[in-house]
Amino acid sequence: MKKWFSYLARSIKKRRRTAALQDAGAFIAAPGAREASWTAPVLWRFWLALVLSLFVFAGNLFAADIAVDFSAANKLYAEGKFAEAAVAYDAILKTGGQSPALLFNAGNAEFKAGHLGHAIAAYRQAELLAPRDAELRANLAFVRNQVQGATLRESRWQNWVGSLTLNEGALLTAVFFWALFALLALRQFKPALAPKLQTATRLAVLLTIFSGAVLALQAANRFNAAVAVVTSADATARSGPFDEAQSVFSARDGAELKVLDRHDDWVQVANNAGKIGWLSQKQVAVLPGA
Amino acid sequence: MALLLLIALGGGAALAATFTATLDRDTITMGETATLTLRFDGEVPQVEPALPKISGLKYGNVSPNSIRLNINGVPSSILTLAYPVTPQHEGEFAIPAITANVNGQQLATLPLKLLVTKASAPSAESVNSGNEVAFMKLILPQKKVYVGQTCIGQLQIYLRDDVQENSQPQFTGTPADGLSLGKSAGGGQAQAHAGNHNYTVLPISIALTAMKAGKLTLGPFTANMVVVLPSSDDLTDPIFRQQRQMMRQMGIRSSFIGGERKQIPLATEQVTLESLPLPAGNVPANFNGVIGDFAMNVTAGPTNVTAGDPVTVRVQISGRGAFDSVKLPDQTGWGDFKLFAPTVKFTPADQLELSGTKTFEEIVTPQNAGVQELPPFAFSFFNPDDGQYHTLTQPALPLVVKAAGTVPLPTIAANKNAAPENQTPQDILPIKEKLGTLTPATEPLVTRPLFLVTQSVPVLAFLAAFIWRKRTDNLANNPRLRRQRAVAQLVRDGLNDLKKFAAENQSDEFFALLFRLLQEQLGERLDCPASAITENVIDEHAILHAAPKATLDGLRELFQLCNQARYAPVRGASELNSVAVKFEQAVGGLQEVKA
Repeated sequence: MKKWFSYLARSIKKRRRTAALQDAGAFIAAPGAREASWTAPVLWRFWLALVLSLFVFAGNLFAADIAVDFSAANKLYAEGKFAEAAVAYDAILKTGGQSPALLFNAGNAEFKAGHLGHAIAAYRQAELLAPRDAELRANLAFVRNQVQGATLRESRWQNWVGSLTLNEGALLTAVFFWALFALLALRQFKPALAPKLQTATRLAVLLTIFSGAVLALQAANRFNAAVAVVTSADATARSGPFDEAQSVFSARDGAELKVLDRHDDWVQVANNAGKIGWLSQKQVAVLPGA
Repeated sequence: MALLLLIALGGGAALAATFTATLDRDTITMGETATLTLRFDGEVPQVEPALPKISGLKYGNVSPNSIRLNINGVPSSILTLAYPVTPQHEGEFAIPAITANVNGQQLATLPLKLLVTKASAPSAESVNSGNEVAFMKLILPQKKVYVGQTCIGQLQIYLRDDVQENSQPQFTGTPADGLSLGKSAGGGQAQAHAGNHNYTVLPISIALTAMKAGKLTLGPFTANMVVVLPSSDDLTDPIFRQQRQMMRQMGIRSSFIGGERKQIPLATEQVTLESLPLPAGNVPANFNGVIGDFAMNVTAGPTNVTAGDPVTVRVQISGRGAFDSVKLPDQTGWGDFKLFAPTVKFTPADQLELSGTKTFEEIVTPQNAGVQELPPFAFSFFNPDDGQYHTLTQPALPLVVKAAGTVPLPTIAANKNAAPENQTPQDILPIKEKLGTLTPATEPLVTRPLFLVTQSVPVLAFLAAFIWRKRTDNLANNPRLRRQRAVAQLVRDGLNDLKKFAAENQSDEFFALLFRLLQEQLGERLDCPASAITENVIDEHAILHAAPKATLDGLRELFQLCNQARYAPVRGASELNSVAVKFEQAVGGLQEVKA
């Protein structure tokens, strides 16, 4: 910050000097022009630094505000005002920032307020960010046990693949991919090393293929296996996407259903018994797959 | 405003102008306010006159007043500007002549003097005789206090029975050495008798806190009060007086019914107080300076909870004393609890807030199922009535804490006393206290174009390495190609050297280099050693038959020039430069020939 201020002061000094030279008259117009052309990149850097600093400053303010709001919401929770705490956590989430702890606490508050569906939705969103958080998994399992009626259960491979976030999977695959091609390039530059690099290259190939396969499964699960969590006390799935359609099955608060299709404000879902029906989007929270 | 007024009036004056300055009183006591009046007769100034700046005198806002007159058909006006003048200290103040410009005429007032005397309490004789319209007394019931103790002082304002109305006292000085003035509150009225008059006593209680040990002084307090006294009509005409009294009883103010307004300076005597230090012996460990007499009550609920659930602890401290210094008792033994900042509420029992109840409400959450009680509270204070320290203790409150949901622990970290993993949790785990890293909700990496494009970098790097390897291998396996590139480089460098030698007119070096370059270039084209090249190869070698005639002629000429140079080496720089150009053209043509 100190450096930034000294840079700012220098920039302003140069700017004033240039302006003074330009005002001085024809004799020094040429040096002034040279000065102006010389200071142009300096000014450009100054403005860039200013804009970046403002961004950082605004970011810090934003984070500080959210930390205060988070503490206030925690206090509401500690005072037993769970519904108010849930609203407070939700307000923070609406600012665009999210963290596993924030979503975890939001899930706790929703559960304590009696909203199983909203709690599961919050936990599932937290799980996308921190899939290996033991406390999160424990609470999600606990809340799921409170849900009445049939609900979707993730398969073993989904659980296994879901132990990494999609970004972690992508970065891991990228690391192996880069390592593989780095080894191949090294073999071109130093052919003599090829025999020594053979094992490492084969390992890199295997790891790249394996991590790529895991990433593909993760991506397929994320983008093609959306889940709807029922957030109303009792939701009736209908045979078509309109209120007058015949009832097919009902799902209780917190039930997780597989999303098959969407149409306007309706979501086509399937329960674990294979029954398919349409639910109003107001009754569910649609989430990406784990 | 005054300026606008002056400008508005500044048109139609006709009589000779006069300008005077007067003070309503030439002697006032400290704390009183005098009025300086500037009067313009006949004509008015265009701008407001500047008042002289006098150290220790402060002017208030001006109150203008104007009257338009018509004397025998001649218009005239009177303008008065009244300034309240408040002295900052005692002494004699000289107000110099004030000048004003009235229609181009410079007018000046006479100098004035204002004597400001020290405010002092009236003598006992004057008070007892009933001569004082109003006076003020300061009374301290206690003569000894402890440092930090809060006591009550009483200020009594006496108003004689002929005072018809009075304003609120405006305090101008409340000196206190070693005492802190707290809240004040007025109380009920009382009656007193002095001389031939009855007095109404207006008491004001003030909370005083001793800030240091030793002799403390309070006062003299000074104040101003405006009272309305009977006018001369009231005194002379009993019927008129009776009518006015009736109107006053009906609540009609004196401004409507007349009466003499008078500003009365009030001053008290200085009083002293002895402040004692707190005893040094038997000071409780948790004493934090609270002085008074207090009682403590602690309640908590609910007392049957799950780990992480909130328990509300309410600590009430009631009594009499300095409540500002009453804090929530120390909680050093509460390590098994998470403590949230308490809310504090004070319910005063008197206007001075020296007695009442201070309630601390704190949310605590037990962190584990091993917690069995809420630790005890201890609160210490010093009671000035008996001169001793006291400690109030509240015993521990029993608490039942159930285990929350179990978290699967790693095998290594699990201890023998841990709950079995298959135990059914009874509740969710408590919330997290730290927000952690906040990230914006963004698209995953695999859907971001930049991330995907970045993955092409290692592939491109590998392809570049692959191509480089292929070209290196090709070169290694083709000696003619290697020689071709080496000679091309040699010729490029040699041309530069030729130009350099030409510029420096170094004929011998120039032609030696030229001959060598011709040998190297022809040797490479004809695939034979450079040392074997002479002028004869131009005609003998079949490969060169395909070269343009100009190229071959150029080569011959260059060889001949090299030979001639051995016998006639001295040539000019321009000639050498032209030879270098010819070499460049000949080599260019030669390189076109297919080897």
